[in-house]
Amino acid sequence: MIKKVVTASVLALVGVAALNAGTYNAQAEKDRQALVKYFEKKFANPEKSKNQFFPYTSDKELKDNYAKGLKFNDFRLGSYAFSKEGKSQYDELNEMPPYEDNVDAGEELYNSTKGIKQCFPDPAIAGEYPKFDDKSGKVVTLEAAINDCLKANGQKPWNMKKGKLADLEAYFAAKSKEAGKKVDIKIQSKAAAAAYESGKKIYYSQRGYLKLSCATCHVQGAGERVRREYLSPLLGHTTHFPVYRLKWQGLGTMERRIGGCEKNQGENPHKANSQWVAKMIYFMSYMSNGLPVDGPDIRK
Amino acid sequence: MKTMIKVATILGLGAALAISASAEEVTPMVKEAAKLDVKKVCDVKANGLKKVLAVAEKYNPEAVKLGVEFKRLGITNSVYIKGLKKAIAKKEKKVTLHYKAKGKKKQKTFPVDYATWRACTFAVRSLQQVDEAQKTWRLAVPGDGYKF
Repeated sequence: MIKKVVTASVLALVGVAALNAGTYNAQAEKDRQALVKYFEKKFANPEKSKNQFFPYTSDKELKDNYAKGLKFNDFRLGSYAFSKEGKSQYDELNEMPPYEDNVDAGEELYNSTKGIKQCFPDPAIAGEYPKFDDKSGKVVTLEAAINDCLKANGQKPWNMKKGKLADLEAYFAAKSKEAGKKVDIKIQSKAAAAAYESGKKIYYSQRGYLKLSCATCHVQGAGERVRREYLSPLLGHTTHFPVYRLKWQGLGTMERRIGGCEKNQGENPHKANSQWVAKMIYFMSYMSNGLPVDGPDIRK
Repeated sequence: MKTMIKVATILGLGAALAISASAEEVTPMVKEAAKLDVKKVCDVKANGLKKVLAVAEKYNPEAVKLGVEFKRLGITNSVYIKGLKKAIAKKEKKVTLHYKAKGKKKQKTFPVDYATWRACTFAVRSLQQVDEAQKTWRLAVPGDGYKF
């Protein structure tokens, strides 16, 4: 009898362990696939699906300015994937990319900053971050990893929103793009799955005095226009950072952009090095898994 | 033996699912704020400035702690409350709020009763939204509550 109980318990434990090992990213993968399906359906034929997805957009605009039949890979371009007018302006700007000097400055920093080469022997790592560190129980963004490396080498951390850190990140992104790397975010433990879920909840929860969630604009609202600008889709959001924004007249990180969005929502922005922001980027980046790294890039 | 394996597997599955679920924090103060009628508790005419400001002072620190404090046109609710405490103590009709935006020092002046109402509604609503979000956030997730 005892033997049978022990056998049953061992089998159950092995079963649970196997279940968890294989399913840490199961929910995230389900979410990602549903998101891809949603955006592909939304942008299959905007003119035809006006009533369902674009009730506030005129027939003329949908006919003249919206591309049809977008597929997964197209979403790496953000709103330029569907806006014909935006795409033509984007192509013009990219004839002389304003971020090229930043990539060069990043390469210089990579070679000259104490410890950086040792911490990141392969610079083509832009698609691998954020990572979940099981030891500390924290999500580590690329920006945080760079600053951790600097601190470990006795140096002061850099501003996580712009400047040197954005330049170095631009170099990492350029090398990743050159190597044909794709976004490849891993969820390999129970704690990592919990951090992902937390980031997802933050993304979809309404906050601020305007009671907006990130999804209000970038999932349900993606493709709609606010004044002259089109709202970009969540799918592909993290592929092209750091970005050179015309509004900033310079390069900025994902953390910088999120801070701007939080202000627009009517809430006090979270600190760039907070786990709140890191968890949200972890969720957002997982949603872009499989898309090519496309940074650095230009945005309005 | 088969029954035991079934029971153990069901227990195991249950445990795995329970572990995977994320329990987001709804604090006792969030629950308390959720029960308030914001129009009533923040009514300056009915309750007076001091009482309405006290509501803001009670709930806003929790909003700060939970990372959901409201900010409008560069001014956080904490700045409203700080400025109002001084203005109400001095029985002033207007309050000048000092804040920083894009690294620059700025200031704006508001009528005290209006700013007090705002500070109170911002404090209470920020917590009420935390409570509401527990029931609504999944409704926006494609493949979950959002059908398309």
